[in-house]
Amino acid sequence: MNPTPSPPPTTTADPRSRAERAAQSLRATAAETRALEESALRLTSVGNDSAALGQQLSAAVESIAASAEQTSVSTANIARSQANAAELTQTVLGGIEDSATALREVAASVVGVKKDTALLAEAAENTAAAIEESVRSIRVVASNAQDLAASSEELLASGTEMAAGIVGIAARADSAAAALVEVGATTEEMARGIERLTNDARDVSTRISSVNASTAGIAKSVLEIAERGKELGVSVANTASTAERMSRAAAVAADSAKQLEGATGQNASTVAEVAASVEEVAATSEKNARVVDDNATSVEELARSAQSVSRAAEDIARLADATATGAMQVDGSTRRIARLCEQAREVGDRVVHTAREGGGAVAKSIEGLAKIKVSIGSSAAVMKEMAQRADEIGDFVQTINLIADRTNLLSLNASIEAARAGEHGRGFAVVAEEIRSLADRAATASSDIAKIIRALQTIAREALTATMEGERVASDGASLAAAAERALTEIVTGVQEVGQSVREVAQSADEQVTVVQSLTQSSNTFRTQANLIVEAASEQAKATQDIVRGANEMRQMAKQTNQAAVEQARALRDLVRSNERLTQNAQAVAATAAEQASGATGLAQTAVQMRGLTDTTLNALNEQSTLARNIAAQTEEVRSAIDRTLVGLTEQSKGAVEIAKTLDSVHKDAQQTSKALAEQTKAGKDLEAASRSVATLAGSVTRATNEQTKAIAEIAKNAEEVRRIARQTARALDEQSGVLSSLAEGAAHQSASIAAVRKASSEQATSIGEISRAVDDMRARIREIVGVTSTQARGAQSLSRELDELSGRIVTIRAANVEQAALVEGLTASLDAGGTAAP
Amino acid sequence: MKLHVVFVVAGVEYALPITFVLQMESFTGATPVPGSPPYVLGVVTLRGRVIPVLDLRRRFGLPAVAPTLDTRIIVTQVGGRVVAFCVDRAREVILLEPERLQPAPELLSERTIGFVNGTYTVGQRLLLLLDLPRISESDHDHEPHALPAADDHRRPALPG
Repeated sequence: MNPTPSPPPTTTADPRSRAERAAQSLRATAAETRALEESALRLTSVGNDSAALGQQLSAAVESIAASAEQTSVSTANIARSQANAAELTQTVLGGIEDSATALREVAASVVGVKKDTALLAEAAENTAAAIEESVRSIRVVASNAQDLAASSEELLASGTEMAAGIVGIAARADSAAAALVEVGATTEEMARGIERLTNDARDVSTRISSVNASTAGIAKSVLEIAERGKELGVSVANTASTAERMSRAAAVAADSAKQLEGATGQNASTVAEVAASVEEVAATSEKNARVVDDNATSVEELARSAQSVSRAAEDIARLADATATGAMQVDGSTRRIARLCEQAREVGDRVVHTAREGGGAVAKSIEGLAKIKVSIGSSAAVMKEMAQRADEIGDFVQTINLIADRTNLLSLNASIEAARAGEHGRGFAVVAEEIRSLADRAATASSDIAKIIRALQTIAREALTATMEGERVASDGASLAAAAERALTEIVTGVQEVGQSVREVAQSADEQVTVVQSLTQSSNTFRTQANLIVEAASEQAKATQDIVRGANEMRQMAKQTNQAAVEQARALRDLVRSNERLTQNAQAVAATAAEQASGATGLAQTAVQMRGLTDTTLNALNEQSTLARNIAAQTEEVRSAIDRTLVGLTEQSKGAVEIAKTLDSVHKDAQQTSKALAEQTKAGKDLEAASRSVATLAGSVTRATNEQTKAIAEIAKNAEEVRRIARQTARALDEQSGVLSSLAEGAAHQSASIAAVRKASSEQATSIGEISRAVDDMRARIREIVGVTSTQARGAQSLSRELDELSGRIVTIRAANVEQAALVEGLTASLDAGGTAAP
Repeated sequence: MKLHVVFVVAGVEYALPITFVLQMESFTGATPVPGSPPYVLGVVTLRGRVIPVLDLRRRFGLPAVAPTLDTRIIVTQVGGRVVAFCVDRAREVILLEPERLQPAPELLSERTIGFVNGTYTVGQRLLLLLDLPRISESDHDHEPHALPAADDHRRPALPG
């Protein structure tokens, strides 16, 4: 270039204006670059915010996962408590069946006592008949007809009372039969309830099957998430390679900077050595063009990077949308869990209430059995008293026998004396004979009475034995009822434990609702910010495109400038001064480029670390997949347990039908008892009629010995006593029947309560199944979100890094721009100087 | 028509003309007399008299039974001798027509041969007429030490 001649002065204006245009263009570029830098800075801050949000989101999701685990544990507790309660209910049912058996025994024993009482009444009737005969036989002998008549009236009154009492017994027996019919109806209802319960349990089984299917679906979705994680790994690998490429580009930039430094050094020496040489200026200009060209290339690369940033931002926005949708779904499922928990709690309360009612029914049963025991005890006392009275009557009969004996002896002796008196004693002999025959009849009657009394004593002893048996059976029933009460208390405790567990689950669900709400809020914010990033990134991309256009224009201009510089090489000799400054600047650029290179290397290392983290996440996802499969297996176990429960319920239903049959037969027995009582009523009326005829006959009773009369009065009194005792026994039997029917009612009530407990329990089981399903669903969703959130966090981090890189590059470009502007200014100055020197 | 006292020994009814009977009493035990035959129960005191008591069961060769409320003592007088008989039961006097007396059949128990004069039939009942003098006399014939020993307390010189 040295031989190039100096350009003519006329041509000076043209390159100068071009240089000015170039300077102008450079300034414009610098301004745009500043705008770009600002935009990049904004983008970086937004990216950082996004990364922070991602971390926050991740933390929230982890806390949700922890809550879900807690909920799952609580649900398992509830299921255990529920199983416990079901077992206890079984025990109670067994206790009630035992009680029913004991009640049947009591009823049988009461029927036996009733039979004995009927026998007793018959015996009493016989006694009355015997007494009547006795009265007839001693009417001539009796001295006090009035007394006898009066006692006959009493007898009549007693017979009437007894008949009325027997009618009352019949009426009560009828009402007892009606009550038994009611009990039968109640038992059938209970059987139908158990049937319904069985159907409900089948329903539960079906639902558990659907839960199983859901769990399988969850496992599948977890696997899909794992696939997504793998894709994420691939994208991270891509990011790493991009970072490496960027690192290489930075190295190239550093090289260029060094080259620039070398060039400027060379320039300086050339200018110093060959200041006048235009060729050197041209060479410098050419080199400048090359630098500009390199810059343009860098800018194009920047544009590509900006586009990839934009794409990454769009990906983030999509992920943010997915996160928001997932969070909303989690919110819904959490609310459903809370609702189900509320239902479960209500059901538990109902179960407690029903169990307490059952306890009340059992307490009534115990009370009723205690009454029966007391009533039987009083029956026993009455029986004993009756036996004692019978003994007393035996004594009286003995006395009558003695008297009759003596009368006989006296009459015989009278006959003997009369025979000895001959004709004088004939009348006396007749009287003696009559007395003897009356005494004989009295003796016959009293021996009949003795026989009857013996029969009566036997019957009384049998009745006493039956009563003792009844007392024992009542005690057994009381202890069985007490056992049932204990079992019910245990049920109440178990159900309260269930309620406690449900409350814990409800608390966890409430906490979850709060956490999920904050999660939803965070993800919405995140989505908004991601959209902002997308906007900013697309703006950036646009701006970068503008920069590319400007850079291309600049390249064009630089070429033109270079051509002009070749033409005006000679005018550029005064570039020496500026070249020295250029050298200094180039050194600074080289240093900056070196720093950039080391930063790029750091970026590459970070990318490698990120890849390692992605692998760890993949492992975690695989573990999650295994856990999902375990959950599926556990659900299967739950279903099999429900099937077993179903079998147990079917057996219970059969048992209830058998109870109904048994009650039917008890009803038949009661009807027969009613018939027997009706017969008794008729017999009582007959007795009344007999007593009436006794009263009629009493009118013709004649005088006899005072002792005999007294004895007869005693017998009558005792007979009355026997009747009174019979009436007491009848009354005691009535009481027993009443207590028995109330007991039967109590037993029916108890059975109904237990059925209600079972129903409520199965409803609870259904609720728990739904909760379990919802919890599993939620857990799956949370896992999905965790995966998405991790991807997002990584995407945000890579975006942040890319943005940092972009900022660095923009700074580099800006520095280069400033340099260029200075260079062009220097060039302009040189040109000015050249223009001045040439003329 | 003659009045008879009816009594029962071992389920068999016997008739005894009332003219032989002094009185009847319940049996409340007798004072045993040493050396008397087994059918002599002992002596009792009645209306100031000490009277020997014979157990008709043993006299008829039947096993003895414990006395009951029905057990009676029939005090008889044959000639000058007063003897009491212990029987199972005696509650009746009955009018019997002498022309309806039938001789004792040979079928009667060996043991009672010599004690029964004949039979009466009253409705369905069969009464054996007791030969009271024979019973007293035969004591001497068959067991010479029995009755005299008992009677000697009251009547040492008994006419034949």
